[in-house]
Amino acid sequence: MTAAVIPRHRVEIGASQAIAQARLLARRSVVGTLRQPQVWLPGFLFPIFIAAVNTSTMGRSTGIPGFPDVDSLLDFLLPASITQSVLFGGLSAGSDTATDIQTGFFDRLLASPVSRTSILVGRLMGASVTGAVQAMVFIVLYGIFGVRVAGGLPAIALLIIFAMVLALVIGGFAAMLALRTGSAEAVQNVFPLTFIGLFISSAFFPTALMTGIYRSIATRNPVTWMIDGMRHQVITGLDWSEAGKAILVAAGLAVLAIAGANAALRARLRQAS
Amino acid sequence: MTKPIEAEGLVRHFGDIIAVDGVDLVVEQGEIFGFLGPNGAGKSTIVRMLTTLLRPTAGVARVAGFDVVAQAGDVRRSIGVALQDAAIDPLMTGRELLRLQAVLHGIGRSEADSRGSVLLERVGLTIAGDRRVGTYSGGMRRRLDLALSLVHEPTVLFLDEPTTGLDPMSRLSLWEEVRRLNAEGTTVFLTTQYLEEADELAGRVAIIDGGKIVREGRPEALKAAVGDHTLVVTVSDAQQDLATEVLSGFGGARPGKAGALAIGLKGGTTAMSGALRALEDAGVAVEHVELDAPSLDDVFADATGRRLEGAAHDPDPGTST
Repeated sequence: MTAAVIPRHRVEIGASQAIAQARLLARRSVVGTLRQPQVWLPGFLFPIFIAAVNTSTMGRSTGIPGFPDVDSLLDFLLPASITQSVLFGGLSAGSDTATDIQTGFFDRLLASPVSRTSILVGRLMGASVTGAVQAMVFIVLYGIFGVRVAGGLPAIALLIIFAMVLALVIGGFAAMLALRTGSAEAVQNVFPLTFIGLFISSAFFPTALMTGIYRSIATRNPVTWMIDGMRHQVITGLDWSEAGKAILVAAGLAVLAIAGANAALRARLRQAS
Repeated sequence: MTKPIEAEGLVRHFGDIIAVDGVDLVVEQGEIFGFLGPNGAGKSTIVRMLTTLLRPTAGVARVAGFDVVAQAGDVRRSIGVALQDAAIDPLMTGRELLRLQAVLHGIGRSEADSRGSVLLERVGLTIAGDRRVGTYSGGMRRRLDLALSLVHEPTVLFLDEPTTGLDPMSRLSLWEEVRRLNAEGTTVFLTTQYLEEADELAGRVAIIDGGKIVREGRPEALKAAVGDHTLVVTVSDAQQDLATEVLSGFGGARPGKAGALAIGLKGGTTAMSGALRALEDAGVAVEHVELDAPSLDDVFADATGRRLEGAAHDPDPGTST
């Protein structure tokens, strides 16, 4: 075959185009989330509800010897609330991917010359931006109730970065599941498991005051490592070492999650082979 | 000159199931090629292979001169695709989706916006362009789907059952747009399960059944090849055998709709009165009678022994001859 029929506006897709595609797909992801209050609202209401219940039932626990020195339990809970909220948002990145597969929108993307990597990167970028917004909302909201981030603006920036990286972790694992199964229900069914990981950690109570096997699991739980590192910035003050530890753990998990999602994407593309 | 679409020995297996079984195709520049067949015949599988969404098990296909496997990226840049069911994100507006589709094809944002406006106007969605697609009717979604497939001005356009589920007015509107596109030089590959659609739009038709092309050609030529008009007679169940015997003297049996007898009437329209008189003389009470000029359904029936119309309700052609 020679002399191909050339489309009238033929454009080669280079790196800059791939970035533009990823940005626009990320925008679609964020806009899609914003336009579904039923998706983003639980991510705010549920952590607020848990925090409200904890402060009213366990508010005086801050006086127990061994509890970190805080003005109120909300100071202690801020990183946990952000983490909890990001769990909701990150999972929706997976269920939205599965919905795209189920409705055929994913095929529309594949039938275009979009960079396959941009499809995944766009979705994860969207989750990450949503994570940043969630963190900012909780910092402002808890600030209204008297929570002051001891580490100041740099610590606030670290909290936001942490939320963005954590969103990549959750979004990556959720997207991997979505690409493997093509089922939004399968992604949503994982939701309770993520909360077990959160509850068996230092999210809502210091590990120093835990006992037995619960304490043993919590101290080995990466969620504890991440939340404790961020909590330090809120309660004690800016500490690059603690922050670095938390963000490095999150980044390590993000690398695993994104690699898994990328492998799932390649496997799905191979299915057409 | 390179053909817009060429396929040789195209095969696709799904496990033990052979969905497409050795299809050869050539679509000429600037034509509307209709691909007609019942559900499950293999139409969409062929479209998915030609649009690079599915790799052939065997055979080769070239679209816009590019191999669908080895040069899949080039194929994607050259084609417009509107798949079945108009898979459009209901949370986005029409304008946002057009911008997204344009950027996916490597078109810059400002040009994407201007093309989007032109296309929205073209498909009559300018006013609805800033509304979320979730509020669109089925016909509006199909028109937007068509606009999305045109945003990069492809030379080859694949429309997979574009009017399935649409009301008659929306269907006519879409046909008009397809004709207009074709008049502007776009080659259109159209799959459909509607005989009328293939007859109205397609310059050439391939009829597919069981993963194989069973007839191919211009609709008029295919219909002419069937020959005689079809006489369709409805009688009571008790008189079916008698009526079949009487009618056998006037032409060979053809597959008919449930409860009706059909023959290829020898001698054309003038023989109709003789057949009816013979039925009356034999004491058969005719409940309903039709004389149909050869249609694509007759072509399908001639090739497969089954009717395409109502095929889902009449899977056993042996019961209605």
